[in-house]
Amino acid sequence: MHIVIVGNGIAGITCALDARSRDASARITVVGGESEFFYSRTALMYAFMDKMNRRDLEPYERDVWRKRNIGLVTDWVVDHDAEKREVKLAGGKTLTYDVLVLALGATANVPDWAGLAETKQGVVNFISAQDLDACEALVPKAGRAVVVGGGLIGIELVECLMHHGIATTFLIREPYYWPAALSREESQMVIAHLREQGVEVVVDESVERVESTGGRFNAVVTKSGKRYAGDILGVCIGVRANLERMKSWKSAPASRRGIIVDERFRTNLPAVFACGDCCEIERPGRAPLIETIWYSAKRHGALVARNVFGDDVAYEPPVFFNSSKFFHIEFTTVGEVEYAPAGTPTIFRHRSGKHVCQRIVHDGTRVIGFNMLGSRWDNEVLARWVEERRSPTWVLRHLAEAQHDVELGRMNLQAFDEVNIPLAKLGSPPHA
Amino acid sequence: MRKVGVRGWLLHDVTHRGITAWLLAAVIFAFYIVLYFGGQYGIPDLVSPWAEQLGLSSKWVLYGALYSAAIVLGGFWMLWKYRHNRYQVVRTLVVMVVQVTLGFSVPQMLKHAGQPEYYFSYLWPLKIDYFYPYNITGLPWPYVVYSVVGALVMVPVLGVFFGKRWYCSWVCGCGGLANTAGEPFRHLTSKSTPAWRFEKVAIHTVLIAALLATALAIGSALLPEESPIVPVAGKYREFYGIIVGGILSGVIGVGLYPIGGTRAWCRNFCPMAAILGLVQKLGRFRIRVKKDMCISCGLCSKYCEMGIDVRSYAQANQSFTRASCVGCGMCAEVCPRGVLTLENVTRKDPQEAVRRAPGRASLPIIT
Repeated sequence: MHIVIVGNGIAGITCALDARSRDASARITVVGGESEFFYSRTALMYAFMDKMNRRDLEPYERDVWRKRNIGLVTDWVVDHDAEKREVKLAGGKTLTYDVLVLALGATANVPDWAGLAETKQGVVNFISAQDLDACEALVPKAGRAVVVGGGLIGIELVECLMHHGIATTFLIREPYYWPAALSREESQMVIAHLREQGVEVVVDESVERVESTGGRFNAVVTKSGKRYAGDILGVCIGVRANLERMKSWKSAPASRRGIIVDERFRTNLPAVFACGDCCEIERPGRAPLIETIWYSAKRHGALVARNVFGDDVAYEPPVFFNSSKFFHIEFTTVGEVEYAPAGTPTIFRHRSGKHVCQRIVHDGTRVIGFNMLGSRWDNEVLARWVEERRSPTWVLRHLAEAQHDVELGRMNLQAFDEVNIPLAKLGSPPHA
Repeated sequence: MRKVGVRGWLLHDVTHRGITAWLLAAVIFAFYIVLYFGGQYGIPDLVSPWAEQLGLSSKWVLYGALYSAAIVLGGFWMLWKYRHNRYQVVRTLVVMVVQVTLGFSVPQMLKHAGQPEYYFSYLWPLKIDYFYPYNITGLPWPYVVYSVVGALVMVPVLGVFFGKRWYCSWVCGCGGLANTAGEPFRHLTSKSTPAWRFEKVAIHTVLIAALLATALAIGSALLPEESPIVPVAGKYREFYGIIVGGILSGVIGVGLYPIGGTRAWCRNFCPMAAILGLVQKLGRFRIRVKKDMCISCGLCSKYCEMGIDVRSYAQANQSFTRASCVGCGMCAEVCPRGVLTLENVTRKDPQEAVRRAPGRASLPIIT
């Protein structure tokens, strides 16, 4: 049996490693053109900030692939024939498969701003190793930068640029930062922190056009007519499934916003699976699911590794969790905060004068989610409380049990002001 | 410091095995060779005249003062850099205080008071001569009791409850220097599998050598003087002193800082670390990994001064205890997702109790 996995990101590599653990004899080949070895995309910012070397981003020693007998091919797939069960590579090679797993990942959303197409130099995304190359090439000559997009990748890029002494303007379309995940109070805290770090944060402004001279980026002009000059333009307005390359294939699986798969990650083509950021999961009686975070890609890959051997396991996402870090503010979210409508009752705990807060979202009788900023929390405990349908009063009484701060440094939960306030958030779609 | 558009400190020459780093390593090497072997083998003794000039009784007092100054200055820098992390603040303060008192001024004061120059912060087998017969019979009895009880009871008992960190990163001067003045070099330690293999062989080899040195020294004291073992034991003791005490702990241990990271001695050669590592494997200390939250970024591995590939455990959701871990807590500090925490597992820990609780069905729903 030959399993060919297209994409050597976290979904594809998790699939390869788990498939190998499951079956010692299957032939496993991973094809990926972005990098020779799997690297941790989430750590790109640490390489940019010189906290790590590129090589340090590789989560596995390089001889792991030989030891675990996983073939790596550094190339791009240019064609796929479902009848012959083969994929053609840009380098001319052809691989014949028994099972094909597409883990194509995601790519940056391209906005339709006037003047962007003419701007050839100085515009960067921050998603791939190639993006990092581009950023690093621009840094030595840059004095100012503008980053557009109020999400996770945007704030990471802002942090990196600030680290290199580049004065950065952070342009956010919504009235506050990351409204998809944060509500007003948390967002204001993050923005205050960004301003303390010297970032120029501009909210409620969207880009009208991009100005350039000789193809080199100069400035963005917003809809309200303000002009923000810079040498680098960071475009971080979210990601979409990476389906471009698939368009020229002889047999491409059916896709909408992503490759359409069922709950077992099967596409409409026989023996072809898709997982990770590139797929859209159809669920009978429920809205299709698109998950584009590290943790979901890892789960998808692990599940596909079972289904390719005929285990027939349906995907059921666990209680949602995610994490991030906004400069120095650590963020843990668990449960239904992102999807809870505005007005949902919450308990908001804040410590005056410090960028630390906890938000417990509930429906009156049971807790449905947590948004924790500025200190460390054990997502496993919080998720269990959501699963166990714990009441808000019970959770408040036991809150300390979910703390995960460093030894001797446990945050004193008594020192917080506690108020009952409804969730204040916007209805706008997630940005990044 | 950093200027506009300039790549940051990691790629700096000094912290990145550049020419300055090699020069610095060469200077430290030369310093230790002169310090340990000056006046012998044709190597000039350049340190003693300085000590005399300053009115100090020996070059070792001067060295102790310099060593303490490095820990105190580096310590203040650590306190500033990690002021948001109480574990690092408390640990660094303890390391600084222990070095200045037990590691330097207390032994000097004892000497002035007509007592032996005794270092309470160093124990057998790191300070192997505290078990040598001339100390056992020569020191006043309270010191002997401390030497023996300290090494054979205090070290392992505290090791069981707190792991090896209570000594290696809270008390010991070798660790003290690594975790203060050595901070800019901590990421240089090799995380490769061959380095791990070397570590396991090397550290246990030195442990056996230390046990042998102790056994021979005590044996030769009990044997009649004409026994052929006695001169062999003497030669062996001298050999152990030069190789382990001089070359491995000093010249290589500190000289390698700018090239091979800060804990080359602690990781590969220290016999005390070897014993504490074995105790730690059986004890309560561990690094707890928060489930599913790791993003495999690798900062934990990068900044582990003992060369542990922390990420390999974190991304596998595996709480772990590694014999070499000195519990410096830096993996937990640098983790951007707060995945790691150091802990001494106790049955009274409420979090542990929750984790061990029976399945959901037996718990009341909405109380």
